[in-house]
Amino acid sequence: MQSVREEESSSIDQEPRSCGDNSVWAHVSPLLSAACSDLNECELIHGDNFNLFAAMSALEIMDPKMDSGMVSTFYSIDEAIESGFAPVPISSDRTVDVQCIIDIMDHLLACEATWHMGHSLAQTVFSCIYVLRPERTSSHALLHSFCRVIRATCRALVSVVSDARTNELRACKATSSKRRVFEARRKANDFVFVVCRMMQNWNLYKLIRNWKRAFAKLCYAGYVFHFLHALNCMRRPQGRGLELARKHIAYCIAELESVLSSVEFLSLETVENGKNEMEESTTGSGRHPIGFDPNLNKRLSAPTPPRAIKLLSWKKVGTSKFSAIDYYVKLLHNLDQICAFKLEPDLDAVLQFVVQFQKSRPDLVARAHLQLLLVQDGKLYGRDTFLTICARSLALDVTKNHGLHLNEYILQLNQLMINLLKILCANTPWQRRKLGKILNDWSIFNVQMGITVGHMMQQVTTPRTPKNGDKSALILNHIYGWLEEQIHWVALRFLVLGFDLKLYSPSEYCMVYWYMYIILWKLAEKAHFRVLIIVHTEEQKAKKKEDYSRDMAREDRISLWVLLLKCQTSLAQGLTVMIAALRNEGMCLKSQGPFNTENEKFVQHFGLLQKASLPKYDAYESFSESTCHARLDYLPVYECFRDAQKMAKEIKVGYANDPDKLAEVVGLEQVAEHNIIAVNLLCQDRCLKVSFEFIHHPHFATAVVRRS
Amino acid sequence: MGDKEEFDEGEIEYTSYAGEHHLPLIMSLVDQELSEPYSIFTYRYFVYLWPQLCFLAFHKGKCIGTVVCKMGEHRQSYRGYIAMLVVIKPYRGRGLATELVTRSIKVMMESGCEEVTLEAEVSNKGALALYGRLGFIKAKRLHHYYLNGMDAFRLKLLFPRPHVPQMVSEEQTKPEHEIFPRPRD
Repeated sequence: MQSVREEESSSIDQEPRSCGDNSVWAHVSPLLSAACSDLNECELIHGDNFNLFAAMSALEIMDPKMDSGMVSTFYSIDEAIESGFAPVPISSDRTVDVQCIIDIMDHLLACEATWHMGHSLAQTVFSCIYVLRPERTSSHALLHSFCRVIRATCRALVSVVSDARTNELRACKATSSKRRVFEARRKANDFVFVVCRMMQNWNLYKLIRNWKRAFAKLCYAGYVFHFLHALNCMRRPQGRGLELARKHIAYCIAELESVLSSVEFLSLETVENGKNEMEESTTGSGRHPIGFDPNLNKRLSAPTPPRAIKLLSWKKVGTSKFSAIDYYVKLLHNLDQICAFKLEPDLDAVLQFVVQFQKSRPDLVARAHLQLLLVQDGKLYGRDTFLTICARSLALDVTKNHGLHLNEYILQLNQLMINLLKILCANTPWQRRKLGKILNDWSIFNVQMGITVGHMMQQVTTPRTPKNGDKSALILNHIYGWLEEQIHWVALRFLVLGFDLKLYSPSEYCMVYWYMYIILWKLAEKAHFRVLIIVHTEEQKAKKKEDYSRDMAREDRISLWVLLLKCQTSLAQGLTVMIAALRNEGMCLKSQGPFNTENEKFVQHFGLLQKASLPKYDAYESFSESTCHARLDYLPVYECFRDAQKMAKEIKVGYANDPDKLAEVVGLEQVAEHNIIAVNLLCQDRCLKVSFEFIHHPHFATAVVRRS
Repeated sequence: MGDKEEFDEGEIEYTSYAGEHHLPLIMSLVDQELSEPYSIFTYRYFVYLWPQLCFLAFHKGKCIGTVVCKMGEHRQSYRGYIAMLVVIKPYRGRGLATELVTRSIKVMMESGCEEVTLEAEVSNKGALALYGRLGFIKAKRLHHYYLNGMDAFRLKLLFPRPHVPQMVSEEQTKPEHEIFPRPRD
């Protein structure tokens, strides 16, 4: 390669130019012609560095699927403007002009929603020439101010999302994101002002004639105003603006509904014109908006080949699956959920909230806001250190043990907790992968802390009055126990997310429920141990201080949670034995392919758990031994389901005021009931067909029995 | 186009990649059936480096299916990767894809691969069932993996390794609750 370079450099008509960063730009034509004369047709030079990525990134010039530089309609934005593609004003007829602006607003909101859902900004919002060149619209107050709001909103959201992903630059970036949201809010205010002034200037006759259109504009003004105010309130430190944000969100939802109702009138006109393309349309009226060309920016989306993207339709009509309006309604409800969360300094509550929140599959913008609320300046809600949170969940007092805040294990634990909360706010596929990986970090930390705490506790056991240092050791010992509970919680979350993401095949359910049973059993044990610590500590406090009021609500809450875990443990055990029995009796297919056995599948599914020593022994061997003898007439199958059913009845009473939890427990109870019946039927008739479906609970399967 | 073709399994001929004359056949099949556009470099990258992993299926001289793969080091393991698998619609449901992919996997296994991976769209039920029958598991879900916004599953097939008995210390023996009691006689 060296000699070729030397040769060609002499014949290059254009000198190589340095571009400052140790790399040199050179004219490629001489090299290409030299290479071409050496090659026969269809030959390919393969360099060692020509890997799959290089092959995939290579493009075929003038192939519209690959060549992002290929000119389609316009060569540049200027050319598009010169050809009158995006006129200002759009029409000299005021009524037409207003109609077109409402179409642009509709389309821009559809573009923004599509962008939120993962497509490039260049192909969505920035396909609008009015947004790309805001200076052109300065004479047109309404269009100008709306485009400025959209630009500012995009900037603000980019900041919020990037803040949610960075660790090191948090402090300085957070301020910039807050400032950006604030700027966007100011732009929204300007837009509302423009709309109001326009309404004032219109005489009564015009207003009546155009009242529907005026109303649509007012709704938009109201919507963007409240949306950006809501975001601004949500970014206030320590969740101080959440209450006000909820009010703005409620207005936003109302405004969106009004936009929808006004559109029925506007779309009527289009239907009358015989152009009913509402289903795919990105505007409420069904017309194509003026001034948009998604190909203008496609060069910016390199290095990926340019692909046509499908924008969300503006409104759900007929068979369309999900519209921009649906997206915003879902986003607003998710933001409202976040704002309604009571910022209790209670880790159990936080974890349960995040898990519940993720059930509706919230999109990036909502998840980024939740993460920024939960973790601020290395503290929960920017307010409570994780030592206080952790101590609180054990009913321990750490106010007098100042040294603990600087303890290396507590500092590390703080970091682990921050990472965990951030991961829990991520999209569920990524979340599961990360949870699997961090389990190993947690487990190494657990071993190290166990050794240190073990040494410390040996010194404490000498019978003498406990000193401050001894108290620290005792607290660390309790935290060590709590850490083990957390590890099992993370492992359980990893396992159940597999159901949410549809990673398990029916032939693998047996091993999955076996693993869940092992993890749930241990988690319930650790949580129960925590209840004992809390009860003991609270009793001691009550003995010392007569007027001490015990937090019975907390004790009841944790006890109830332990019972829920035990109920799930019994269900997982019941399902394991039932499926194992069906397999052993040949009523259910075993997981066996031509190239490997169940053992390899087990290793692949649970390798990360086993790496983290969950459990500490050879899990596959234990799984095989414990399931190979199961039979349908084996009584414990019924016992497991009956225990689960009994516990579910008890738990229901405790969760009477919590509709989400109550619904879950009712689901568990139904799974148990149906599976008892199914086992009974299967015992009587071994020719029945059985399948497992998630009709009552997303993670615990119900056996469905059919005659053929 | 979608109508089923009547044929006898014995009429299908399978052949390993045998040179440039096969390339246009592979390209036209993949371009027709898969959503991702590939340049000729991508095809050449695969078939020139791993011709032994590429197979074609013919019926009466017409190319009706193909599989394109690679293998190499990946994070301390030697891994096979199935890049493209296509059988045209009229010939589907008769085990041609299974035969093609099985041939590639066998070569990978004989070449010392420890595992085989690929990605499949979450909605591609046919492919998921096919790979499931061959012993692949869904190891991961990849959020918005394809440029059309769809998620993908990363599928993995682990080959058995020679069994090394583990030393079990006393601490590592199983507590009683974790073993289900034996059934009564």
